[in-house]
Amino acid sequence: MALKSRGGWWPCICVGTVGIILIVYLLLVTSNWIYLGWHDTLYFFSRSRMWERFWLTVWTATVSTSFSLLIGIPAGYALSRFRFPCRYLVASIIDLPIVVSPAVIGAFLFGITTRFPFDWISEYYGVYIGRNVYGVLLVQFTVTAAFCARLMKASFDMIPVRFESVSHSLGASPFRTFFKVVLPMAKNGIIASMIVVWARAAAEWEGLMLFVGATEGKTDIMPFAIYLDWNGGMMGWVTSMSIVCMLMAISAISAMKIIGGRSNVW
Amino acid sequence: MKILKKLVVFLVVSSIFLVTQAYGGEKSILFHAGLGQRGALNEIKTIFEKKNPDIKVNFSYKGSGYFIADISRSKQGDLYMPGEEFYLMQAVERGFLTDYNPKTDIPAYFVTVIITPKGNPKNITRIEDFAKPGVRVGLGNPKSCAIGIWDEKTFKKAGIWDKVKENTVMSAKCIPELGNATQHRAIDATIVWATTAVLYLRDVEIIPIEQKYRGIIKLPVGVLNFARYKEEAHKLMDFILSNEGRTIFHKHAYAINPVIPVDKQGFCLDGTTDNDMEYLVNAAEAVKDDSFPVNKETVGHLVGEVLRQKKTIRAGD
Repeated sequence: MALKSRGGWWPCICVGTVGIILIVYLLLVTSNWIYLGWHDTLYFFSRSRMWERFWLTVWTATVSTSFSLLIGIPAGYALSRFRFPCRYLVASIIDLPIVVSPAVIGAFLFGITTRFPFDWISEYYGVYIGRNVYGVLLVQFTVTAAFCARLMKASFDMIPVRFESVSHSLGASPFRTFFKVVLPMAKNGIIASMIVVWARAAAEWEGLMLFVGATEGKTDIMPFAIYLDWNGGMMGWVTSMSIVCMLMAISAISAMKIIGGRSNVW
Repeated sequence: MKILKKLVVFLVVSSIFLVTQAYGGEKSILFHAGLGQRGALNEIKTIFEKKNPDIKVNFSYKGSGYFIADISRSKQGDLYMPGEEFYLMQAVERGFLTDYNPKTDIPAYFVTVIITPKGNPKNITRIEDFAKPGVRVGLGNPKSCAIGIWDEKTFKKAGIWDKVKENTVMSAKCIPELGNATQHRAIDATIVWATTAVLYLRDVEIIPIEQKYRGIIKLPVGVLNFARYKEEAHKLMDFILSNEGRTIFHKHAYAINPVIPVDKQGFCLDGTTDNDMEYLVNAAEAVKDDSFPVNKETVGHLVGEVLRQKKTIRAGD
């Protein structure tokens, strides 16, 4: 619903703000790109290391997002529809990972996985829990699951309860109602939230630093690799990978818009 | 509905994939190593894994300050190689590492050098110049990185600590911050390890420090007591301490002379490291100037590093 602008200072200021934000973003990308230079851009973008890390980021984020959705959709539905004791308390506790820093989550995960029974499992099977790519998935999942539930709740909140009541009165079971009525209606919201959750998972690194640590090519997803290369003085890698991250974000958001995932989240 | 079906199928497939991946049956060593050693250790890992195909090396690169918390809580890890002897001694004190021998378990040393932005705008040539008015100095925070302790030691020895503190505009949490700040001209001069300086050959000037203020810092390695793969860890440690391993460290601008005479505080007593310093200065010249010859005589062991940085304008590998 577009409002026809008829001049006046308030619309001008609002549009101007958008313009300024756009200019700042453009400046960020272009200045970085100019710093990198054309020759180096070609060089770094053609290295396999770049794309190995890119795929590592993409697949870990995708797997952890899928697990988050599996938890997040029912949990979001429950939070949105059902009344149970201490609902607000539960809702606030579920929100915790959104509010606290991912570093805290990393430290907590670290604490849990080094205690009983995990220390025993780790000893018995001779594996180091969380020092490999599963650690990456675990961190991403822990950080995003709550986020996912919260976004799903928002999506389900937008759907009037009336449809469910009608479905019930026509004899459909709650299970059938959920899959045949609620889920299709929430589709747009779910897709939109999915992208946000995916982006959040792909951007996670504080928790990784505390919990996983870095092994080249195994656990260094893009943001973590940027930090590592920053420490190694490799400005070429830092800049080129930042640009790839930026492009990745832009394409993710555009993909979502094209799929049609529009909802109250966006 | 369709989305959900796809999601479930995807999850099942990926779980199977993950589970089958989990128990490959190979021995993987968990190696706690300081972030700064990444370049050299990755090279060592590649060669070591080629020689011992049944052993995998997993690094847990972190800032050295993080390790003691990790180790004392998790009681996990096979090898330990922090960025300073001090951090290793913390592990020794807590009983995590008992067979450390300070004479033999040092594969390499850090050497302190001065770096300034390209062109050396404030004309810094020696330690005393840090006290000149108007020089923006960057120091390390002694609480979080070893270079901070050495800054204080060095300037106190030169008797200019108070003046340097007045000039200080930056207190870095880790040593790469100092390199990055110099590269981007945020500070006029700072002291870093030669191994840090060598990462920025194109964008900084390197000034060797005269012998009496030149710090030599031990870089120790040890096998932790709770190591699961003790035998394999010792194998890797022996490789790191072998001549081949040391040569790799040398290529990344560590000093590897078996004996470097130092005084009680750790400052250099003779010219053992002079050659390395000369090569380092030449290397910085060679990356900036294409007409400068790059060979064993001019840049010595740093040929590989110089060629790496000449490949691109912004450093990568």
